[in-house]
Amino acid sequence: MVEAIPPRDPNEVMTLARLGSAHQCRLSFMRQLLRRLSREAWEFDVPVFNIDANGVGHAVYTAKGPDRSYSLVAFAHDLPPEQRSDRVIATAWDATFTLFDGVPTQDDITRLSQNVPLQEAGRVSDRELSLSRANRSVRLWDHVVEALASGQQPDETKVGDVGYLMRTTAVYGSGKFGAADREQTRHRPECAGPFQIEMLSVFLTRAFVMDLVEHMARMKAPDRAVPLDPALRRRFGIGNSTGLGMAPFLVTHPALLNAWIAAREEALSRVRSLPEAKETDVQAFRRFVARAKIHADAWTSEHSLQINKLTALRADMTALQAHVQAADLTLDLPWNRLWIWAQEALSIEGQEQLAALLLEPYGDLVDGLTECMSTDEHMTFPIDGTMSVEALQAILEDVYGWALDTDWDTPESHARVWYVSEAKLEPRLGERFEEPIEPYEQPLGPGRDAARLYAALKQTDETTVAALLLAHPEHRHVARRAQIAARLPYAEIRDNTLSAEMLPIDMLRLKLSFFGACHFDPRSDRWLRINMYQHAPFPHELAQTSDDWTLPPLPIAAQ
Amino acid sequence: MTWSLNEVENLSRKAARGAGYSWGLAEEAGKATRWTSAAGWPSAAALAQLLTQTDGIAPSELGPASLSGTWTAKSGALCPITTGAVLCDLAANWANGTTASLGSVRQPMLIIPYVVWAADQTGAALSVSWEGLTLTRAGGETYLDDPNIARQVFKANWVRLSPASIPAVKPTLGARLTRCYRADMSAETTATLTAFAQRTYAPETEESRLGGAGAGLTDND
Repeated sequence: MVEAIPPRDPNEVMTLARLGSAHQCRLSFMRQLLRRLSREAWEFDVPVFNIDANGVGHAVYTAKGPDRSYSLVAFAHDLPPEQRSDRVIATAWDATFTLFDGVPTQDDITRLSQNVPLQEAGRVSDRELSLSRANRSVRLWDHVVEALASGQQPDETKVGDVGYLMRTTAVYGSGKFGAADREQTRHRPECAGPFQIEMLSVFLTRAFVMDLVEHMARMKAPDRAVPLDPALRRRFGIGNSTGLGMAPFLVTHPALLNAWIAAREEALSRVRSLPEAKETDVQAFRRFVARAKIHADAWTSEHSLQINKLTALRADMTALQAHVQAADLTLDLPWNRLWIWAQEALSIEGQEQLAALLLEPYGDLVDGLTECMSTDEHMTFPIDGTMSVEALQAILEDVYGWALDTDWDTPESHARVWYVSEAKLEPRLGERFEEPIEPYEQPLGPGRDAARLYAALKQTDETTVAALLLAHPEHRHVARRAQIAARLPYAEIRDNTLSAEMLPIDMLRLKLSFFGACHFDPRSDRWLRINMYQHAPFPHELAQTSDDWTLPPLPIAAQ
Repeated sequence: MTWSLNEVENLSRKAARGAGYSWGLAEEAGKATRWTSAAGWPSAAALAQLLTQTDGIAPSELGPASLSGTWTAKSGALCPITTGAVLCDLAANWANGTTASLGSVRQPMLIIPYVVWAADQTGAALSVSWEGLTLTRAGGETYLDDPNIARQVFKANWVRLSPASIPAVKPTLGARLTRCYRADMSAETTATLTAFAQRTYAPETEESRLGGAGAGLTDND
């Protein structure tokens, strides 16, 4: 019996640089969802598609599972270009959506038509599970409509350059703006996994957007218009612009963050621990590496940070492909040997891509871990106040060692302030020493706060955590975090979220990669665009498609 | 119009922070208000009254001045947020059979969730009582003899927490509480809590708007 390779050390995994290099994998939430829809043979229907020649109207896309149905209610609008903003503070969009719990009646649609197009300024009810909106990619939308209306397929290069026809911004779930709370649906198997409702909403949104573009071409030229070629159609994902609003989530949900990362690390550990690999699995792995190389080559960004990472990733993929062609990967802990090779040979981007690729041939071994990716946060919330002051000190030394070694007197160490703005109630990041925002600081710098708690523990005469926190309630939030992180090794980002060098996009990328997103394209250090469901089957294609759709297909000759 | 429990929790957390409670206490106040809202009680209104009453009082005067003997606050009556936190922190003590005796408590409804969490943490059945009411948490369920008393008492002259002896027939503990999935908040309560929450938001400047979120302004590409 070979001893199992343990999961990676959280001090290695939980740095921002590594979290910010994460890639989608078999455990990603989109892939969980499509596996379920396919396995349970969900049925899809478009009972309403009522959209005029100006692109204004509404449509209903219904997904019917074994026990329940869910309907995307889509409202299409005619938006003047000057109002097209992907900021969360926008007030009008090309299309707005809600995921309805069941099949809506005409009364429901009337009610929703008065609220969903307003987004944050409207109000939904506990019959609705999500609220979202999307804008066209103007440069690609117009081209595709023109091409199809003239009987032609759109230019493949243009399709590849953008990758989607509409970009969503916020996709609001659980309890937002009056929508149903997660408690209301979490007992349903199809809703139990993380963000399954939001992922279903986006999956149906993509289907709607593709139908809409073909519809617009038909309305323009009923006699000449053609539909998209099915293979080209699948190259369209659905875009998303994501800003700072998403970043605090990882800090405010430590137990959930642990559940996601622990599942992935356990999966990686299982594959690395395999004493041998079958030749068919090795062949499959080599194909995934080749596809990941195509993916890396097609992944572009104009942001200098990402350009550097992509240059490194492409070199990594070339090196990885050469190595796995030559190496024996069948015997003697082959995947662990490959992993050890990668620690020296590949950049962090390449290492994290490899971590995701190693899971691909082993669905039977790792897919079950998706059951462990939700958590009941109430269970970890209470503080154990009977813990001794010494025991809490020891936890801080273990979990926040990096923070205790940081000199918090330097301005650079805590240059940033996370705060919420008055105008749109969205999270922002400001400069502590340049703006009068410190009084409004949100508790999103656990490392600094842990160092403060540690200093208080060193000075106190109290013997229990409860007594210390009664006298110093300002340390409660971080005492709770420390106790959670002592039990859940991947609960805490082990890096400085207040530093002058901190890149919020690293936090965004981690979360989005767990969603299953690709083509991270930072537009600054604090917002980025991504592509979701590119290459995915459409609802009517689910039955004929396996789970490995995310990476681009190999050229026909190489398959 | 009804509110989601998420909305109640978020507004309550921000309001408590805006009223001067530490972030940790405010997180708990949000969850406590959510729990009691799910019980069907007017807890957001209770929180709004509490924050109005305690606004401006130093946090150190709101909780128990000492944990020996009967717990009392320097400010007169104990605050359920600061006091509830200690009750929950000491869950292991109550599981060992220790009892807690408290003097007067403001908005005692809000202290109930902390006792529930303490019981759930250790698995020990606990009872909390004040004049005319005994509520027991046992095996993940809540029993109480008179829901109206939980609902209507704005200040308890004494509160006691003790291990519960579980009778063979649970109905003798009172009616089992069933949960709700939506909450009601009056316009007045919403306005009060929103005003406290407002204190946590940084005033907007055009510079912060552009720099803080960092996104571009046009989506026409």
